[in-house]
Amino acid sequence: MANSSLTTRRPEILLGILLSACLVALSLQVRRPSGETVGERWLQTIVSPFAGTVAGIRTATGDVAEWSSSRRALLDENRRLRAAADGLEAEILRLRDVERDRDRLLALFGVHRTPPAGTRPARLVAVESAGLFRSALLDQGETDGVVSGGVVVAAEGLLGRVVAVGAGSARVQLLSDRVAAAGVLLVRQGRAAVARGDGKGGATILYVPTIEAVEPGDPVVTTGTDGLYPSDLPVGRISSASRSGSLFWEIQVTLAADPAKSSRVFVLPPVRPSDIPAAGQVRR
Amino acid sequence: MNALRLAAGLALSLLGTLGFGAAGLRAAPDLLLIPVGDAALRGRAPLAMFAGLLAGLLEDLVSVPGRLLGLHAFTKILLGYLLASVAARTVVVKPAAVGALLAAAVLVESVALVLLLWLLRGEALFPSPLLVLGRAAGTGLVAAALQAALRHPWRERHEARRRMRLG
Repeated sequence: MANSSLTTRRPEILLGILLSACLVALSLQVRRPSGETVGERWLQTIVSPFAGTVAGIRTATGDVAEWSSSRRALLDENRRLRAAADGLEAEILRLRDVERDRDRLLALFGVHRTPPAGTRPARLVAVESAGLFRSALLDQGETDGVVSGGVVVAAEGLLGRVVAVGAGSARVQLLSDRVAAAGVLLVRQGRAAVARGDGKGGATILYVPTIEAVEPGDPVVTTGTDGLYPSDLPVGRISSASRSGSLFWEIQVTLAADPAKSSRVFVLPPVRPSDIPAAGQVRR
Repeated sequence: MNALRLAAGLALSLLGTLGFGAAGLRAAPDLLLIPVGDAALRGRAPLAMFAGLLAGLLEDLVSVPGRLLGLHAFTKILLGYLLASVAARTVVVKPAAVGALLAAAVLVESVALVLLLWLLRGEALFPSPLLVLGRAAGTGLVAAALQAALRHPWRERHEARRRMRLG
C-alpha cells in the first residue's frame, strides 16, 4: 500500500527533490549584506533551536553543578556552624556555672563581708545521714589548711563544723546532727538559748521560757558564746513553737542553710578563745 | 525518441534565444519554455520536469547579465509539473489552447520569479508588466504556430497535390 502510494506520488517526490536542489543551489549563491549566504542564514535558522537547546542544557548542567557545589558548601558550613553552636552552648553552660558559683561566693561574702584570716572556700562533695547523725564531706583537707573545729558556712547561713580532717578531705558535723549544739540568739526577743540538732534536718531550741513571746518566723543567729561558732551567723527561723506544759517552749527551727543545696561553702578558722564574747556582750 | 526530441527542441530553442538576444529584443518570447511545454503536454511529468531543469539551467547560463544559476530551473521545473498536471486532466491539442496555456505559463513564471527573488534577496523586484505581457503573448504565438505546424497534415496535402498533378 505504501509502495503503491510512493509510486503514484513519484512525480511529486521528484518535484520536491528538484525544487529543493534548486533552492539549495540558489541559497548558496545569494549573499546578504551582512556577508552570509541565504543558505547559511537558513541553516542558522534551522539549527538555532537545537543550538539554543544545547546551550540551555549546558546552562542547566552548569546550574546543577553550581547548585550541587553550593549545596555541598552549605552543608559544610552548616556542619561547621553546628559544631560552633555546640561549642558555644557548652561555653554558655560553663559560664552559667561560673556565674552561679560567683553569685554563691558573693552571697558568702555577704554573710561575712570581711571573712576572718584563714577562711577557705571549699565544696561539699557528699552529705551523709545515718540515722540521727548528719555529716558532710568537704573536698579540702589538712594539706589545704583545713583544721578540726573549722566553722562551715554556706551563703544562707551556718552549716556545721569540721570534726575530722584528712589529707585531702574533711568531715563536717552538720548543725542538724542529733549531737550537735550551738549557742543561739532569738534576735527579736534578744534571748540567748541553745540549739540542738533534731537529727531530721532541723534543730530544736531549748531553754526559752514561755514568758518570752515566740512566734514562727523569728530569726535565729549564733551568739558566739559557745566557743564553737562565731557570733551573728544566721542559723535559721522558728518554724513552730509550742508550750508542752513545762516552763520552756518547744521550739522547732528550720535551718537557713541546706547542705543538699549548698555545695559552695566557706570554712572559717576555729573560734579562738579571745574571740568569744563575754555573756554581757551578747547583743540583745 | 523522447530524449532526442527534447534535445533537439532545447537546442533549437537555445539558438532562437541567442538569436533574439543578439537582436536586442527586450520582450523576446520564452522559447526555452516550448520544449518543456511539449514534454508536459504529452502527459509525462518526470520528463517535463527534467526538461524544465535543463531549459532553466540553459536560460540561466545564457542570461545577460548573469542570473543566479538555478533561478529559471526552479520556475521551469515547477511549470513542467503544472503543465503536465493540466495535460493529465485535459486534452490540449488546439494551437490556440496550447498558445494560451504557454502564455499563461509565462505569466506564472514571472510571478514565481518575483516570489523567489523576494524570498532570496528579501526584496520584491517587479518586472515591467508590458514586457511580461509581451513576452507571454510572443511565447503563446510561437507555441501556437509551432503546434499548428506540427498538426498540419503536410504529407496528405503533398500526396493530394501529387495526385492532382498526375491526374
